[in-house]
Amino acid sequence: HFYKLQKCPTIKMLRSPTPEETVTASFGKFISKVKPQHLSSVVLHRSKRMVLDSIGVGLIGSTTEVFEMVLQHCKHMYGHDNICSVYGKRGIKLSPTLAAFVNGVATHSMDFDDTWHPATHPSGAVLPGVLALSDMMPASRKPSGLDFLLAFNVGIEIQGRLMRFSNEARNIPKRFHPPTVVGPMGSAAACARLLSLDSSQCSHALAIAASLAGAPMANAATQSKPLHIGNASRLGLEAALLASRGLEASPLVLDAVAGVAGFSAFYEDYKPQPLDSPHDGHAFLLEEQDMGFKRFPAHLGMHWVADAAASVHKLLVGVGPGKISPDQVQDILLRVPLSKYINRPFPESEHEARHSFQFNACSALLDGEVTVQSFTPGAIRRPELHALLSRVRLEHPHDNPANFNLMYGEVQVTLVGGDILKGRCDTFYGHWRNPLTNESLRKKFRNNAEVVLPSAKVERLIEAVDELDRLDDCQDLLSQLQ
Amino acid sequence: SFLKLRNFPFHIKLVCSQAAVFFFFFVCLFVCLFSLLQGITESFGAAIHALGASQLTDGVINRSKRMMLDTLGVGLLGTRTAVFNKALKYRITFCRSSSIWGRSDITLPPCYAALVNGIAVHSMDFDDTWHPATHPSGAVLPALLALAETLPSRPSGLDLLLAFNVGIEVQGRLMRFSREAYNIPERFHPPSVVGVMGSAAASAKLLGLSPSQCSHALAIAASSAGAPLANAATQTKPFHIGNAARRGLEAAWLAQMGLEGNPSMLDMDVGLGVYYNDYSPSTMPDCASGAFRWILEDQDVAFKRIPAHLAMHWLVDAALAARGKLQEAAWNFDLSQIQRVTLRVPPSKYINCPFPITEHQARHSFQFNACSALLDGKVTVASFDPAQINRSALKELLSKVEVKTPADNHPSFDKMYCEVQIETAQGESCTARCNTFYGHWRKPLSQEDLVEKFIVNASSVLCTEGVEGVIDVIGNIEKVTECSVLGSYLRMTSNTLEKVYSTGMI
Repeated sequence: HFYKLQKCPTIKMLRSPTPEETVTASFGKFISKVKPQHLSSVVLHRSKRMVLDSIGVGLIGSTTEVFEMVLQHCKHMYGHDNICSVYGKRGIKLSPTLAAFVNGVATHSMDFDDTWHPATHPSGAVLPGVLALSDMMPASRKPSGLDFLLAFNVGIEIQGRLMRFSNEARNIPKRFHPPTVVGPMGSAAACARLLSLDSSQCSHALAIAASLAGAPMANAATQSKPLHIGNASRLGLEAALLASRGLEASPLVLDAVAGVAGFSAFYEDYKPQPLDSPHDGHAFLLEEQDMGFKRFPAHLGMHWVADAAASVHKLLVGVGPGKISPDQVQDILLRVPLSKYINRPFPESEHEARHSFQFNACSALLDGEVTVQSFTPGAIRRPELHALLSRVRLEHPHDNPANFNLMYGEVQVTLVGGDILKGRCDTFYGHWRNPLTNESLRKKFRNNAEVVLPSAKVERLIEAVDELDRLDDCQDLLSQLQ
Repeated sequence: SFLKLRNFPFHIKLVCSQAAVFFFFFVCLFVCLFSLLQGITESFGAAIHALGASQLTDGVINRSKRMMLDTLGVGLLGTRTAVFNKALKYRITFCRSSSIWGRSDITLPPCYAALVNGIAVHSMDFDDTWHPATHPSGAVLPALLALAETLPSRPSGLDLLLAFNVGIEVQGRLMRFSREAYNIPERFHPPSVVGVMGSAAASAKLLGLSPSQCSHALAIAASSAGAPLANAATQTKPFHIGNAARRGLEAAWLAQMGLEGNPSMLDMDVGLGVYYNDYSPSTMPDCASGAFRWILEDQDVAFKRIPAHLAMHWLVDAALAARGKLQEAAWNFDLSQIQRVTLRVPPSKYINCPFPITEHQARHSFQFNACSALLDGKVTVASFDPAQINRSALKELLSKVEVKTPADNHPSFDKMYCEVQIETAQGESCTARCNTFYGHWRKPLSQEDLVEKFIVNASSVLCTEGVEGVIDVIGNIEKVTECSVLGSYLRMTSNTLEKVYSTGMI
């Protein structure tokens, strides 16, 4: 019998192909290296016909209503109106869409922002857009703090509702990065709310945003991931502004229509539910399902193993001198859920390190905690850390699902002498089941904000947010950001 | 409270409670029916609009304020990161300006020029179509022209043509990674998947990026790909092409500034593979080797004669042929004699629209295009004017149309056919079939007809000098020393025409 070995892409990946061998690299190489002399006469001829036709239809298309609408939109939005604040950058103002973009990137740049269940990073997709929109409004007609807060909550609520349309959404994602799926929708909803659009315009804002949604998981753990949140915020804002100018899209984008995918395109299973008309008992999802806040800048899954490893560190330090030496350790076993994009034995960049069970467990084992500083290039390259990393094994127990509501993290360290130390974390401090206290949250805020703003502004920001629902004018918040 | 009717005589109590129960039942039924009829999308729109501050509870206010505080803090800290600084640096591209086709009075930052010009190209569904299905040129050309105008290196016509072809080629290669791509789409609109990748590739080429930067441009662009098909046949569809052009250009610029994505984006199922149910990528051959061959060499594009979805072209040709046959057979033939029109077409929900209301729906309606052809003996740009769409004669004919999807009619632009059968009150029946319409890649438009289409289109906004200038530049593009000369012709409007289009709108 002859057995033909079938081509298996996953096996290819495990072998870590050299850059020259990957499909992606071959494309990069082609684009970079191809020369005019490679153009044959047939190709020259055909492509010139295409160019001509394209320009012609573009010219006639410039007489259409949709074109005119967008032209006005762009003129208005991207002229010389640099009016919106950039976090922490005194003296720099940007157009609204770019401000939403860069502030969104900043928010997700270190994977330090909030996480919800079902999984997404809801606030970063919404807040920058709402801030930019508020900056756009004339001084005499700024939204009140309460209007601002309402718009923000609408953006969060819509994201929560949309994720409940699919069972797939309950687990750690595998295909589309959730902030790119529901984030633009939330941003569009929040901005539509702040703009006081009518119901039909609000629906269209969502539908327009749907055409801007969806990015693959493969860019997680790379430098591009923060753009997922930046773009969600920016594009949702754009969608709402376009809807306010009358742009229309599919009125059935959230509904399930056989043969023509709408928002359902992003999920394997999809069962949409209508949203109840608001009434005085309307329960926002945030009421029932609290938010997780991170204590250190890494993927949420890392927080379980870090807490578990920290408890082992305490046991070890209790036994001997204050520092852990890799020589004491023979083996480190992590029991974690199965999720490919957070399983990285030897991360090389800060982005990979923030998405590595192994790295976070070893950092916490070594230092007793994981902090902002744990991800600096110097910290990442420590030889003692590397030594620990080479002793790590992973196990994926069946009772440990890839789900932020159900997972746990276990760290088992076997010492050279034969002793075995175990740590387990079911709910890390900061998870929605064990929320950060207001003091802890403020402490995190001060540590972060004081890196770029003077203390006086930092305190005023804390005050402004605290009193937001009582502020007549959200300008008090807007003016402290840079 | 109807349960507390203690003081009433028993039989009246019973009647009242029964009545109340029936009333309650009907109210529930009404509410259920109403919410079913309302549609989920509508309910979301209504809720976003109607939610008021009074619905915010203390619990929610408290939690959301904590979220805001935390988000601001991490955002402030994040402004110290490399990725943030690259994103901020990106604003530099907004200080430059590029031409808007058909406008002499306005320029925009290149990304937005690419956006609006791309929207213009796809606004009437009049742009080219390829096999596997996508609209390749509209995603690439607007980005390249906008970029070329801002480059200090002043690229030549040949540089532009080469970059254009890179953008087309990459799209063609990517579509061949999936069998699903060969059929008329159902889930993601193809220009939104491969279009942005083509734009990124083309822009990277024109920018002269290194191989690694080119790969990263593709990876970054992938995070901007994929829009659902549901927005086809709506006013938002043109944005799919506009945004493909814009965001591909953006991706290339970000790659130039050093932003990195996943270097295996095209290799992984969780990379570009997310947009397909079956995904089998392969490497691009070395262009210096004998193994490389441009896809465009073997697979031409189709150019449209009608500003409507490609499938309409088969149908219109068949309808005109059937109409011709009937007129020949009976010299006093009159359209009012038509009793039934049967269309045999491939199965595709988003182009099956019995009674379109907007121009966008009309461009995606088998029924509308067949009836327009039967009524007028032609389908042109003017056929999609609101007045034409709303004609009562057309609506009457539409009510006589039946659509069938025979099993042998495959939903693929390479294999489909359309058949039109007209039955008259007198009992006559006439059928005509179109396998390959004029303009399809199997039966390409002659150079004369292609140029004629261009002249008719371009003359709607450009003066003669502009029209002829573009034809001349493109015709000789390999020899043009600075391709940005194209931009100056594209701005040569006829003043009177520009006034007509830019005033009185919105």
